[in-house]
Amino acid sequence: MATAHYSTFDRLRLPAYDNQKQMQTGDLLFDREKCKECGVCVQLCPGGCLLADTATKMDLISGKAKGGKYGVPHVVTMRSGATLCIACYDCGAACPHGAISIKRNFNPGYHFKRLTQTSEMRYPKRY
Amino acid sequence: MNVKYEELSPLGTYEEGMPWNPVEKIIVERRSIRSFKKEPLPDSMIRRILEAGRFAPSAGNSQPWRFIVVKSREILAEMEKDAIRVIKFFMFFLDYTTGNRVRRIIARFYAAVLIRILPNELHPVPFGLMSQIAQGKTPVFHAAPILILLVEDRRGVSNPPMDIGICGQNMVLAAHSLGAGACWIGLIKVLMYLPKWRKKFGIKYPYKLDVCLAMGWQKPKADGPVPREAQVVEWYDKGLNDPPRTTKQGE
Repeated sequence: MATAHYSTFDRLRLPAYDNQKQMQTGDLLFDREKCKECGVCVQLCPGGCLLADTATKMDLISGKAKGGKYGVPHVVTMRSGATLCIACYDCGAACPHGAISIKRNFNPGYHFKRLTQTSEMRYPKRY
Repeated sequence: MNVKYEELSPLGTYEEGMPWNPVEKIIVERRSIRSFKKEPLPDSMIRRILEAGRFAPSAGNSQPWRFIVVKSREILAEMEKDAIRVIKFFMFFLDYTTGNRVRRIIARFYAAVLIRILPNELHPVPFGLMSQIAQGKTPVFHAAPILILLVEDRRGVSNPPMDIGICGQNMVLAAHSLGAGACWIGLIKVLMYLPKWRKKFGIKYPYKLDVCLAMGWQKPKADGPVPREAQVVEWYDKGLNDPPRTTKQGE
């Protein structure tokens, strides 16, 4: 079986949500050359965890930030080093320039461990 | 990135490796849309989408659902405000990932207890989302012009929540195939802590409200294929005592 092992210890222990060692949070790679700094990804991020230099998600939704370039976005990292990104890739699906790629996918530990989902990311395949 | 396919396969046929047919295309390219234009969908279109839900399969044909369409801007704004208020209240006690050190250490104890009681509602993903909402960094209902509340009749056959899921997904796919966008929102649960909203929508036994759909025109268009984790699949296709063969779906 290629599935991950889930022990009693795993089941009983809750990961600390802000600890990168216990909970692998997602991370993204922004291609600085392809990025046109349009802010689409910042606006679309479900958790509001992308940040551009001059605009936040709420600015873009409420229309406070208008037009222009917002700077190459980045994933917000907490003090502990963990992010809130779960690599859902909504940003990447919407990016008109294809500038975003997944650097690290989301993989919570211990109690929430993923078992049959492997860490390889694949596009839909036509069998 | 929005992908343009040069051709789509006709419905009702299959050949190995053929291009997507229109239904599959909608399924693989559907993304949860969280950014909408201000103007709502026309009423006739909402009714067409509801029709897809009405014809969803359900256990024993019990159809354990009731639909509520919320279009009023005032009500939507009020719902957003109250949802944020409830989430802020909970996160004040639970959020051990922000604030000063003393607060974080104390909160961690009872957060752990509550996470054990509600492991699904307080999974790391919604926990992080609620933390962001409490800090005012992201909205709850994404300023959607329409909410369709999927109210569950708890007296349904077998497993009513699953029927609600099937019904809702039918509507989501219908909406995307018509060019609109939709997103499942489970956080409407927090409104059910307030008697005001339970009364307003008539949520008392046998009804239960766990989930709703935000709908509207996409702004910007965000549908498109994304990579997902490859899955390990077991195939039992030999004898009774033979071990299963495994494949990686997506490889």
